[in-house]
Formats: sequence, structure tokens, C-alpha cells
Amino acid sequence: MLKGCESYHVAEQRMLTRRAFVVGGLIGAAMWASRKTAFAQALVRENGNVIVVVFLRGGADGLNMVVPYGEDNYYKARPTLAVPTPGSGIGRSLKLDDMFALNPDLSPLYPLFQNGELGIVHAVGSYDRTRSHFEAMSAMERGARDDREGQDGGWLARHLLASGGASAPMRTVAFASTMPESLAGATQAVAIESLADYRLNVPDDERSATHAALTDLYARHDDVFAEAGRNTLNALQSLRSYDPATSKPENGAAYPDTRLGQALAQVAYLVRQDVGLEIACLDAADRGGWDTHVAQGPWLAGLLDDVGKSLAAFRRDVGREMSRVTVVVQTEFGRRVAENSGYGTDHGRGSVMLALGGGVGGGRVVADWPGLSDEILEGPGDLPVTTDYRNVLSEMLERRLGSSTVGEVFPGLERKAVGLFV
Amino acid sequence: MKLTRRQTLGLLAGAGAGAAVASGCGGPQPLAAPTLASDPDARFLNRAGFGPRPGEVEALRKTGRKKWLDEQLDPTGSEPFELGLRLSRLEVTHLQAWELRDWPKSDIVRQAQQTDLLYASLSPWQVRERMVDFWTNHFNIYGNKGLAAYRIPTDQREVVRKHAVGSFPAMLNASAKSTAMLLYLDQQASHWGQPNENYARELLELHTLGVDGGYTQEDVMEVARCFTGWTEERGFLRPRGSFRFDPDLHDTRPKSVLGNRVHNEDGVKDGEQVLAILVRHPSTAKHLARKMCEYFLGAESLESKVESALVERVAESYLESPTGDIARMLRTIFTSDAFLNGAPTFKRPFDFVVSSLRALDATTDGNKPVLRHLEQMGQPSHMWPMPDGYPISPEAWNGSVLGRWNFAIELCRDEISGTSVNLSSLAERYGAKGRDAWVSAVFGLSAGAAGLDALRDAIAKHTKAAPKSKKEWAEVTALCLCSPEFQWR
Repeated sequence: MLKGCESYHVAEQRMLTRRAFVVGGLIGAAMWASRKTAFAQALVRENGNVIVVVFLRGGADGLNMVVPYGEDNYYKARPTLAVPTPGSGIGRSLKLDDMFALNPDLSPLYPLFQNGELGIVHAVGSYDRTRSHFEAMSAMERGARDDREGQDGGWLARHLLASGGASAPMRTVAFASTMPESLAGATQAVAIESLADYRLNVPDDERSATHAALTDLYARHDDVFAEAGRNTLNALQSLRSYDPATSKPENGAAYPDTRLGQALAQVAYLVRQDVGLEIACLDAADRGGWDTHVAQGPWLAGLLDDVGKSLAAFRRDVGREMSRVTVVVQTEFGRRVAENSGYGTDHGRGSVMLALGGGVGGGRVVADWPGLSDEILEGPGDLPVTTDYRNVLSEMLERRLGSSTVGEVFPGLERKAVGLFV
Repeated sequence: MKLTRRQTLGLLAGAGAGAAVASGCGGPQPLAAPTLASDPDARFLNRAGFGPRPGEVEALRKTGRKKWLDEQLDPTGSEPFELGLRLSRLEVTHLQAWELRDWPKSDIVRQAQQTDLLYASLSPWQVRERMVDFWTNHFNIYGNKGLAAYRIPTDQREVVRKHAVGSFPAMLNASAKSTAMLLYLDQQASHWGQPNENYARELLELHTLGVDGGYTQEDVMEVARCFTGWTEERGFLRPRGSFRFDPDLHDTRPKSVLGNRVHNEDGVKDGEQVLAILVRHPSTAKHLARKMCEYFLGAESLESKVESALVERVAESYLESPTGDIARMLRTIFTSDAFLNGAPTFKRPFDFVVSSLRALDATTDGNKPVLRHLEQMGQPSHMWPMPDGYPISPEAWNGSVLGRWNFAIELCRDEISGTSVNLSSLAERYGAKGRDAWVSAVFGLSAGAAGLDALRDAIAKHTKAAPKSKKEWAEVTALCLCSPEFQWR
């Protein structure tokens, strides 16, 4: 039935690049009726993987998240804040290997580590030595080596530019009031505080009529923008059923009522809706963030409780689809090894990264562990960075999103295998 | 057989959403975007400026395009009272970097964005304002980079707006001594022992010769050496943030740039000599001509032979002018057949917002509520991080659709705080009786103008023929601004 069209489409066919192919696939994916016919399925992106980037803003205390219980120096440096060695009893850490143990406030993640879905990198970070939140965060979101590297624009934006932008309206979503710097330069990314914001701003009883009118307006043209309009209408239609009050998570997942928990619940919803999501960015910055200078104990406990429960709920909610979803958790720097006089910790250097889900060769703490003896510590007494965070992200881009342009995303990066992803 | 994108779309739409997309076989649809060729004057104002305000098409018909262009290319006349008043309330329009030092960075960027939006929507000097947009991107500076934000307002005044339709060599010299640019491209970190190539590279690649302009890595390194010592004033009780040449940082040895020997007694002259070499280079003329043609005609249109001949002619206009006159280049473009009759070009979010405000004769303070919409569409000015400026290809803006619709809806419903419209009284002023005539009026066209029939029919299906309430006027108008037709010029 398509035979007569050949000459008309010759020019188009010549231009049928991978990107065009992807576009076609996303239209299929966004089809609201969602009854995938055989050939619609064939058009869905060959790699429908999703990465979820969670940023712990404020400098998370990696040493108390993933405790080097094998180091006496850790216990010497933190007489009141140290997390006890693994063992049975309240407050004891959970053994990961002969050196590291998990903070018990992250216990919901322990089974995921044990079954190999969660992997951890320790002594990881950037080479930023300013110990300034702003500089270090900016360097990391720009994908730079340190604050001095003049790398402009976000690392995720560079990935999107370099890999050729597919036009799915929900390809890249940041759950934030303003676009995070990691997406600076990604004109296609959407920043929303809630999925409920992704809708036409008309009164509820007029929404159907407006949608119908726009559908007619955008059915008449064939240019790229009209196509983008039709994709947007499809995405709006798919998300229309979203109602934070009634759209319940699946598999009995229970998210904490925190910004992180609620945002992750929405990411899970997007994954299920199959709207072409590829990158989601979110922050864990409830409770004043991770800058635990004073009275760190209960403060950090609350933050970790949130992260543990939120990620575990996400894992349960996403269910089988988790094989195509990878969550990575990062922070701009770790904290000083020694506690301060206010029962807190000051800005440090190395911290941890977590990776959960599809493609993660977990069940291991990957670390080129430098130790915590005085001559090893850096500057005022900080855990040195022995793994460049960009090497972790590079591997994720390559293995999970099939990126072949990591050189453009992290120019000048000296590649070193981390081996966190299989 | 493999399905093309278009075929797939038609099939899926038919099978799934039930949208009335023409099937792939239903006879060729126009590949190009909607053209509004029916009124050459309306088209001219849409393509040379941001789009007509009510009454401007009729005014142009009386003046004639030639006279209008003469005036626009010499924008020495005054600004409207309202614009002057609103600008005078923005501190960044008259303070220098050192006077802004205690301000939060975000306030400075916001006021710079406000300034841009106010000028673009209210100034009668529309060609200049289009060129301000062009040069702001050509000489892009990222508002979040270090302390560059504090210097952006001065840059915008003294480099971009001042020379927008004037002399390119003068603009390039001003840009090279703009501390906003120097800080953005790390020039202040450059010294004879360790020349920083960032500014040197972008100067050659983006500002002048173009990436294929015939320079080598060797040239980049030599140019970097020439500019060592170009930095900013940081001394105590000095006008911090202004340009300063520091001879102690300068590399005094001889250099060679594009085959020219550069070695001046007065060190600052090395950089100035480089700029003089660059502005007379044919590659610079070609690079500027191509970018300007892309900007006004769309990148895709330049693939044809006719248009690449136009690039040559625009480049010649530049080289023939002893002062490197930008206005001459624009005249060549604006009188070309490609400009008058060529395929439509795409409105970026900033173009879309400004043309909407102008079409509806909106009053606006250009403040946060309206700027937030530009941010949602992905084009807050001075916030593009890379030195190459916001992209012009329509594909880059696929994510802006919902943002455009919501802006249009909120504008027409008069829900954007600090911005207001009065649609029914405007329709009356236009003499537009009823919906169909109003649809034409929003596009600056007379009632019944050809080219809009399909749009009028589509809108007619969903709205009342004689809008009465504020809500009914808003519905019709919002559909006009949301339409595919309004996204192109």
C-alpha cells in the first residue's frame, strides 16, 4: 500500500539517519493507545535505557555512608560520629566486605547490594580542591576535572548534543524548579517540579477542548516543528492520567514523603509510560541538604533514611523494567575524616558514588582505597580522590546509553576502567 | 520495505491517536513550513524585525520598504517614552561592573534579560534589535561563568547594541577589550609563561575566520601569545572590571599570525594588529556573511546554489566597505530574492515571545513572570553556556513546544503578571469584526488574506465566529499564537 509513495519519499529516505529512526521510534513509544503493533515495536529505540542521576547537594559524608570499618584511623578520627563495626545489634553497620560496611540507615539498600544490583565506588570525586560547594558542584555538573577547567555547559547536555538529539518531548526531564547546570545547553530538556506541571495551562474543564484544537492545528503540516507538536500532544495525552493522588506505585512500593521519594515515584511512572525518557535528574536536598557541619548524627540519619527508602521503593516500583534503568548517586565532595568540635564534619574531598539497576555489576565496593593514615590524607585531613568521577559516568554513558562520544562529553579525560558496569 | 518517518507517523496517527494526519500516500504535502507570502509587507516586517505591531504593516505600505530600510540601518532616532522609562528603572542599563559588585549574579542576569526583551518588543529599531540578538549569540557570554555576569550589561551596551548595525571591526575591537568576554574565555588567566588559548581559539573559530577559515593550531597558539597581558583592572580603588593591558604578563617575543609578523614596541598593539588582520581576511567576510544569511534565511536554504551565491555577495559587500559596514551586508540580504520570497525561517523562543507581544500590542515589564516562560522554552538570554550561541536549527527547539503553547495561552488569558493585553479593544482598533478577520489581524494580514485559509478553518472548528467574552477572544487568539504558522516567519 505504500508503493506509490516511493519517489516522493526518496529524498527523505536518504536522510533517514539513525536520529530520524529514533524519532520515529519515539512517536511509537508515545502512542497513547499504547497497543504496540509489531512494527511499532520494531521502531522503538533499540536501546530504551534510562539513566537517573541523583545529586546529593551539600557534600555527602561518604565515610559514614559506606564505612571503612577496617581502618582504625576512622574510629580514632571520629570518636562520637563513627558508625560501629558490623555485627548484630542496634546501630551496627552492615558488612559489605572486609573493609567496608553500609550505614544501617541505608539498610533498605542492603539486599540490593547482596543480590548484586547495587554497586558502590569509594574515594571517588573530582579534582576540585576549592572545597567550595558552588565551585565543586559546578565543576561536577559541567563534567570538568576541577573548578579551573573552562568546560562550559553540562555534561548531560553535551551527551545529548553529541549523540544527536531525538525529539521525544520527555527525553530529558529534571525534577527541579530551574534547569540543573548538568543540563545547561540542552534546549530540549524539561524542568518540572512535578509531572502535574507538564500540561496545558488551561482550567481542567477546558483541557480536552484545547487538546483537540491543537491536534487539528498540528495535523495539517509536515515540517519538523509540526512533528514536535504532535509528539508533545502525544506525551500530554500519556501523562494526562497522571494524578499524584491516585497514580499509585506498583508492586507495593512505598516511597517516603520527601522530594526525592516523590520525584523518584514520578520517574518510575515515566518509565512505565514509555514516553521516551532517557535521562532524569533529581536532587536529594531535603532537610537542608548534606552540608552536615554540626550535630551530624541525627541529621545524616534522616537524609540516609530518605535515600535508602526512596531508592529501594523505586527499585520495587519499577520492577522488571529495572533492567533498562540505571540510577547513579553522586555528590560534589566528601567530608573531612576527623569530626569537628560541633559533632559535625567539614568540607572534604573523596566521597562515594552509588549505582543501582540495569547493567550494574554490583555487590562490590570498587575502590582504589588509599587508607586513612595521616600521611595519606590530603590538605586539612581529607580522603584523597583515587577514582575520577568522570570515569564512572563515562562507563555508564557507554554501557547504558550506547554513547560513542564520551570524548566530547568529558574532553581531556584520562580514561581508566572502573569496572562498575558490566 | 523500510518505512520513512513520515509514513510511520501517518500510520501510527491513523492507528493510534486518531489524529487527522494525512496518510503518507495522500498526495504530497508541502515539505516546507507554512509560508505567509500573501502580503509582502507583512512578510518583510516579520523577517527583518521581530514582527509587526498593529498598524505597522499599513505604515510600511505608505513609507515603502526602501525608505524603511534606510531608516532602520541608521538607528539614530529616539526611543519611545515607555521604553526609556522602563529602561531607566533597570540599574544595569547605566551602572558599571564595579558598581554592581554587591549584587547577586542572578539579579544582574535577570535585568540584562529584561533589557533585551524590552528593547526587542518596544523599540522601533527592529533591524538593530534583530542584530543585537544575532551578535549577542555571535559573541556569546555565559551569565553563570565566574564573574562574567557583572560585566555583561556593559558588554551588551558598549559592544553589542552600540555596533549592532555599525562597523564590525569596531565591534570586534570593543569585544576583545570587553572584560565580560575576557573573563568568559579565561583570557585573564593567560600570561607569557602560560598562554591560555581559549579566547584565541574562539576569536578565530567563532568570531572571525570560521572553523574552515584557513588557520592552524600554530596560529591559535601564536594569537594566544599576542593577547597575553589583555586582562582586567583589579587594583585597589581602581575601576575594577574595566579593561587593562598588563605589560608584565605580555609575551614580548616576535610572533607570526597567518603569515604576518607581529612584534610591536607597545605590547597591546600585538593583539590589536591581530584583530586588524582578522577583520580584513576574506574568510571573516565569508563566515559573517554565511552566519547572517543563515540567521535571516534559515540554515537549510543555503544549500541551494542561489543562496550560496548570495553569501558571496554579502561577503563582498563587507569587503568593499572600508569600515566593514554591517548595514551594507544587511542591505544586500534584505533586498535579495531569497529574503523576500524564500522559504520561511523558524522563530526561536525569544523570537516567538517577542513577536507575540508585538502582535498583541502587549505592555510588559519584561520581568520574571514573562522571563520564566523563556526559561521554560530553553532560551533565557545570556544563559547559553558554550561560546557558539543558541542554535538556530528548528530541531534544537523541539522541546519548546509546550512552553510556547503555555506562554500563548497565559498571555491571551492575561495571566502573566506584569504583562497585559486587551484583545477585544485591539480587535476593534484593527477593525477586525469577528473571529476570521481577527485571525488574519494577528498575523498582520488584512481580512481574508490568502494563505491562512486552512488555519482559519481549523480554528473555526473549535471557536465561536463572533467572540464576545474575554475568554472567547483569548481562545481564538491563543490558537493563532499556538499554531504551526506562527512559529515561522
